[in-house]
Amino acid sequence: MMEVEIEVKDLNFYYAGGVHALKDINLKVYRNTVTALIGPSGCGKTTLLRCFNRMHDLYHGNRYTGQIIFKGRDILGKDVDLIDLRSRIGMVFQKPTPFPMSIFDNIAYGLRLRGIKKRTELSERVERALRQAALWDEVKDKLHASAYELSGGQQQRLVIARALAVEPEVLLFDEPTSALDPISTAKIEELAVALKKDVTVIIVTHNMQQAARISDWTGFLMLGELIEYDRTEKIFTNPSKKLTEDYITGRFG
Amino acid sequence: MLPELKRDPVDLIFSALTGLASLTVVVIVMGLFVVLLLESYPAIERFGVVGFLTSTDWDPVRESFGALTSLYGTAVTTILALLFAIPVALGIAVFVTEVAPGFLRGPIGVAIELLAAIPSIIYGMWGLFTVAPIMAEYIEPFLQSTLGRLPILGVLFEGTPMGIDLLTAGLVLSIMIIPFTASIARDAFNLTPPIVKESAYAVGATKWEVIKDVVLPYSKKAVFGGVVLSLGRALGETMAVAFVLGNNHQITTSLFDAAATITVTLANEFTEADSDIYLASLFYLALILFAFSFVLLAVAKFLLLKPQEKGVNR
Amino acid sequence: MIARWRRLKGFTALGLSCLAAVLGLFWLFFILVDVLVHGVRALSPELFLQDPVPAGLPGGGLRNAFVGQLLITSVAALIGVPLGVLGGTFLAEYARGKPLARFISILADIIVSVPSIVVGTFVYALMVKPLGHFSGWAGAVSLAIIMIPVVLRTTEEVLTLVPWTLREAAFALGAPYYRVILQIVYRAGATGILTGILLSIARVAGETAPLLFTSFNNSFFSVNMNEPIASLTVTIFQYAMGPYENWHQQAWGASLVITLFILLLTIVGRMIIRWRYGKR
Repeated sequence: MMEVEIEVKDLNFYYAGGVHALKDINLKVYRNTVTALIGPSGCGKTTLLRCFNRMHDLYHGNRYTGQIIFKGRDILGKDVDLIDLRSRIGMVFQKPTPFPMSIFDNIAYGLRLRGIKKRTELSERVERALRQAALWDEVKDKLHASAYELSGGQQQRLVIARALAVEPEVLLFDEPTSALDPISTAKIEELAVALKKDVTVIIVTHNMQQAARISDWTGFLMLGELIEYDRTEKIFTNPSKKLTEDYITGRFG
Repeated sequence: MLPELKRDPVDLIFSALTGLASLTVVVIVMGLFVVLLLESYPAIERFGVVGFLTSTDWDPVRESFGALTSLYGTAVTTILALLFAIPVALGIAVFVTEVAPGFLRGPIGVAIELLAAIPSIIYGMWGLFTVAPIMAEYIEPFLQSTLGRLPILGVLFEGTPMGIDLLTAGLVLSIMIIPFTASIARDAFNLTPPIVKESAYAVGATKWEVIKDVVLPYSKKAVFGGVVLSLGRALGETMAVAFVLGNNHQITTSLFDAAATITVTLANEFTEADSDIYLASLFYLALILFAFSFVLLAVAKFLLLKPQEKGVNR
Repeated sequence: MIARWRRLKGFTALGLSCLAAVLGLFWLFFILVDVLVHGVRALSPELFLQDPVPAGLPGGGLRNAFVGQLLITSVAALIGVPLGVLGGTFLAEYARGKPLARFISILADIIVSVPSIVVGTFVYALMVKPLGHFSGWAGAVSLAIIMIPVVLRTTEEVLTLVPWTLREAAFALGAPYYRVILQIVYRAGATGILTGILLSIARVAGETAPLLFTSFNNSFFSVNMNEPIASLTVTIFQYAMGPYENWHQQAWGASLVITLFILLLTIVGRMIIRWRYGKR
């Protein structure tokens, strides 16, 4: 049996305006796998992803009920240290989000926050992260150039490297390729698969082929409900729910 | 973008009318330069440029004029004002954009902007009747007995504290520009895309770290533009300073002395100038002030025009 | 350890920013209360209904200054508003997207912030020196020069926000451009332009420096724009700097009236913006 990394129990989520965005979600994310969340836009897949690192807490008035168990603790609890949580569960966004600083400093940012100051250790870790993100060869000669000089695809891998540098246990991807060209997309997909030996990957995508190509498990959401959650090959070849089948075969959304 | 229609004659007239109206702006700017230059020409001819700028004379009786005392007063009050105002204004902007709970942001923002709408003469009144006595009675004696004892800094706090001096003028001026600077800084901070802030939170940064490492660098150009704008406003301000600076053409080291700025000199002496060269010298001061603020504002405009458009790919 | 240190630093920094906000609000409160307390004591029917008595004598009011201020500001608006609105129309419509429009609009932004006392010296050279006397007209022109760029820029911005498709729909019906502007575009942007005008009046109503040597001052009641005319702001300056206690009183009274007037205009303007364009 595979080890469970994150377990979601009876999760409900309400946005500040009162919109009930997630309804009674239950699912188990397994360690060292890629889990994809798919569904029509507005179905709640990104909302669910942003629960895992409590991104919703940045905005006033959002509310959760239920539990998300990670490392034996409910991360929705009041006493959870969000800063610590977010360094264990990293996130990559739809658009590349380099900070206004050099390539090196972007990656070292999270490390410095954790008090790592020694130059040698920083360089070592930055290199490791860049290699992990398959970006090292392209940037090793211009580490101190501005991160804005990289192409969109490179920026996205830079952001992944930045997330990896702090050695998270889980990495959340929010439609990471929606702003990228096909070649850059292929690289990010490869990377996501390669990363699963080190981290657990959860990816939100509106691209079903992408989910089929890279994930081991797939969850299908609609109108805030988790309609079906199973192994990817099962979902895409023999879904047990009619709604899932309709969606997979492109009959709506 | 203009539609290819057969042009109605009325349309031609209307467009010409609007075009002429918009040209008033150009006419005003050119007119300002030309008129001020012509009016100050006798003084330019008599005292030269470098000579005028470096002379401390301001003597209507001997008809010998120089700008240095006014420039000095302008510089000192402006620098003091910026020193007091910038930290407070940035603090307010951080508070309003990042710290305050949602329901407070609106009201505080409005309050700050109301503060900016109060006319400068009110700041002057308040400065003269309320701030100056407080300064003379409490703050300045206190500064004198503490900072005034320090070896080198001491010269800044010499003399009898009267309340009508450079320090009070700088303070009143700073309170006047705080809301202005704060609202530009707030708009600049709001330019930071939320997704970039989120990704800093996502690596585990605290709120302060996100502000310091992402929001500030992201908006530094616009904030700097705002500071330059505030500088322009501070050095062109007349009434807030005229009440509390006195009008004293001298250069002193102490902040407790009365002084004169370009604007205060103009406000107090323009209608009293009894000789042509006196009036021309005042126009010369106005020309210097106008040229300097024009350049400054153009620079600020340039900085504010170009928010960092690279970065996040859209 | 390091986490606690980071948290402490963040707490301190954000604490300081709260302090800054409190300080900012403190000044607002301080000034308003001060003006209110001093000003209310000076308010009386005489302040509005009587003209000044000779210096040093008790009694008298500022009727001349209230009327003069109203007159100068109204004439300034009569000059400044049409020029500003038409100029803004040119930038947003006929010259939309052209370098000329861009240039004028940057220039307007710059002169919005030019020291207002410089405008006073300019108008003095143009209108006072040649005629040999101060006049209400000169004061009104000074204020109009300050108003024009403000109104022009707001009009430009408001009209740019009016969707282009609205104009296309009218063109499709064969309407000439001036009709489209007058009947469709202005109607769509009316509230915005009106707000801009209100705010620009609020802006010039408190100006003192450009009036000091244009409309000057007059201790007698006058509505003759060819003569010096009293304004509230210049009177405040003169009275506050003067030696008499009842002058100070009246200066406070005038300060209160002008502050309330400007804050009211500003608040109304902002409310219209919020109501019309939603939250900013």
